[in-house]
Amino acid sequence: MKKLIAGAVLLGASSLAFAQPGCGVGAMIWKGQSGIAPHVLAATTNGSFGNQTFGMTTGTLGCNTNEAVQSMAMYMNNNVNNVARDMSRGQGENLTTVAVLLGVQPQDRATFNQVMQAHFNTIFPSANTTSNEAVDNIINVMKGDKTLQKYVS
Amino acid sequence: MLSLTAQASTLSIADATALAQQRGLAHNPAWLALVHYRINHITGDYTSEADDPRFFLSPKGKHSPGAELKATLQAILTPGQGNKDARCRFPARDHWLRQVLGIPQTPVSCPALDAWLKKLDTAQVTLVFAASYLNSPSSMFGHTFLRLDPPSSNTKTDLLLASTVSYAADANATDSEIVFAYRGIFGGYPGVTSVRPYYEKIKQYSDIENRDLWEYRLNLKPQEIQRLLWHSWEVQNIRFDYYFFDENCAYRLLELLDVARPGLDLTARVTTHAIPSDTVRWVVDAGLVDHVHYRPSSATAVAYQIQQLSPQEQILTRQLADGTLKPTAPKVLALPPARRAEVLDTTYNYVQYMAIEDKWPRKRVAPLSYQLLAARSALDLQSAPPQPPTPEIRDDQGHDTFRFSIAGGRDSHRNIVRISLRPAYHDLLDSPGGYRPGAQLQFLRFDGRYYPDNNSLRVDQLTGVEIRSLSPRNAFFHPLSWQVGFGARRRMIANGQEALTPYLDGGAGFAWAPTPEWLAVAMGTADLEISQKIAQGYHAAPGVDLMLLHQGSSLSAAAGVRSKLWMASGYSKREDTAYLRGDWHIRRNFGLFTSLDRTHYLNRYRTSWLVGFHTYF
Repeated sequence: MKKLIAGAVLLGASSLAFAQPGCGVGAMIWKGQSGIAPHVLAATTNGSFGNQTFGMTTGTLGCNTNEAVQSMAMYMNNNVNNVARDMSRGQGENLTTVAVLLGVQPQDRATFNQVMQAHFNTIFPSANTTSNEAVDNIINVMKGDKTLQKYVS
Repeated sequence: MLSLTAQASTLSIADATALAQQRGLAHNPAWLALVHYRINHITGDYTSEADDPRFFLSPKGKHSPGAELKATLQAILTPGQGNKDARCRFPARDHWLRQVLGIPQTPVSCPALDAWLKKLDTAQVTLVFAASYLNSPSSMFGHTFLRLDPPSSNTKTDLLLASTVSYAADANATDSEIVFAYRGIFGGYPGVTSVRPYYEKIKQYSDIENRDLWEYRLNLKPQEIQRLLWHSWEVQNIRFDYYFFDENCAYRLLELLDVARPGLDLTARVTTHAIPSDTVRWVVDAGLVDHVHYRPSSATAVAYQIQQLSPQEQILTRQLADGTLKPTAPKVLALPPARRAEVLDTTYNYVQYMAIEDKWPRKRVAPLSYQLLAARSALDLQSAPPQPPTPEIRDDQGHDTFRFSIAGGRDSHRNIVRISLRPAYHDLLDSPGGYRPGAQLQFLRFDGRYYPDNNSLRVDQLTGVEIRSLSPRNAFFHPLSWQVGFGARRRMIANGQEALTPYLDGGAGFAWAPTPEWLAVAMGTADLEISQKIAQGYHAAPGVDLMLLHQGSSLSAAAGVRSKLWMASGYSKREDTAYLRGDWHIRRNFGLFTSLDRTHYLNRYRTSWLVGFHTYF
């Protein structure tokens, strides 16, 4: 099951030169959107500019070999702003997607949302948190919760 | 005569080819759709739109449906490895040929294809339309792509992770807008079909480009979805040259739907251009849609959310975004928790919008965003700010884009009949439903007039392109309004005669909305006209353009004044115009209009009025 979901994500990201998802520092939150300001005609005529919108940095952080976590890391890398936003509100489709990628079952998603909101400061300790730090922190927070630990053990 | 019943399982390649020929399968619409053949109606020749040799099994395939069909049969019926390769590469062709020729669908092992289909896990197909956004009228055409939705029964289903199939120009990122426009229109970019997750599309369209998304769930049956996927596999990464006006994203998706449900023939509706919003209309008309969902862009959402706040809360939001008030300030803490949550949420959304739109630097955005989210997470409320309601009129439900108008009236002392043809797209006084308020894009418009008294005809104006983008400013948003246009128009010259004169007009300024349906606009303009019949062969005019505009669901009206000072060396002539216009939107594709103009130029006053109707189709 996890494999299937990972596949769905990897499919989209297959053109990214990204050998080991979950490694590196990931994306900086609120890193700004310079360089991807709408290219007016390009946007309208559906120009695709390859990886420009999905710049990904690789660094030195440890790699997580769990496939679900890798998928989530890739999603977070692309969407960390929206995930942080939904997390602060304790709900939202981006937060749901993180839950789905981690295999959190529907009956535990309300708990997941509440725990994520309550630990926002742990998961995002500063304004410079990167997506992969947030991924590691999410896993650690889940490990410390009796309902959620089964999904990350 | 061949009999299929007995020989089906043993039909030889030669027999199959003969039978296909006898039935004229090479020119069957399903085959023509599968290999993307288009007929040249003058010569009767067929050419495939695929610009890639990998798409053809016959060296003559690009121009010969018959040769390609023969080569395909040969390949799929030859035992051994070659057979497997062809069947796995062209599963839709293989399946269709076997079906119409009564050849058994013997199983074939295609691990790559099977893995691809399994990953896509498609139970339903949704057509997604990215609506236009203000201040980029060239986006008015919109954009379309398909989303492949996994079964909703699966608890792991999440539509943000669903795959999308889109066709796009593979442009070089370093090309300038001008190069892009040229190559986009006249060809030169390879177009490729690509598969990406939906969340990337949402980020691009909804968060960065401020475009609302409309999701049209299609009622394709499992077998039709299977064909659509097989054919997507066949064209994936195959080069089709990209043309902005006709062979664009919308056109390719129509082709996929034609393959999915033979007989739809949606591509036959494309003549000179395929405007994505029109293609959505066709898909709706063809009865393919069973459910529509609206996903407002970040910009639409934040504008609505700001409106929902009380005036005091709006002031707090403004101060929080400016950084003059901290989220932990007593004024904020004094709000009841639910109101505090909404103010913090709305402020965060506004800051993210400004980070992209006004390029607020990260050193401003990041600490501010972090404080807002940290304060929000401390409130144990699982809630989100209100979402904008679905517009009453969808983009595909607005008026059609080709307009024909006829009007009668007087110009000075002469009776006139005016005829106007406008192939695309929308002007400020057309029925506003389904279009962006304050946006106008017209092109290739022709205006002619007829004088019944002396039975003479003449060209009034040719409009190449006319774009107006009027966006209101307020405490939160401060966009520029602008206009640009070129074409040729009648210009009175010294001796009382008129000459058709090429012009280039431009203007920029501000707009304000005293109420949501009214807009006050003030612009500075700069115009240029070139003609051997005016003083120096050209003249140019600085000017001002003031207008009050009302866009209503049954009535739209505009009143304004324009003043220009036409100048060349040793020459200056002032032109002042006051006008009133009104359009009464009677039905979706029919309306009445009237206009009254008074102009002062070359010491003459000239008054003209018209009453007539618009039809749209």
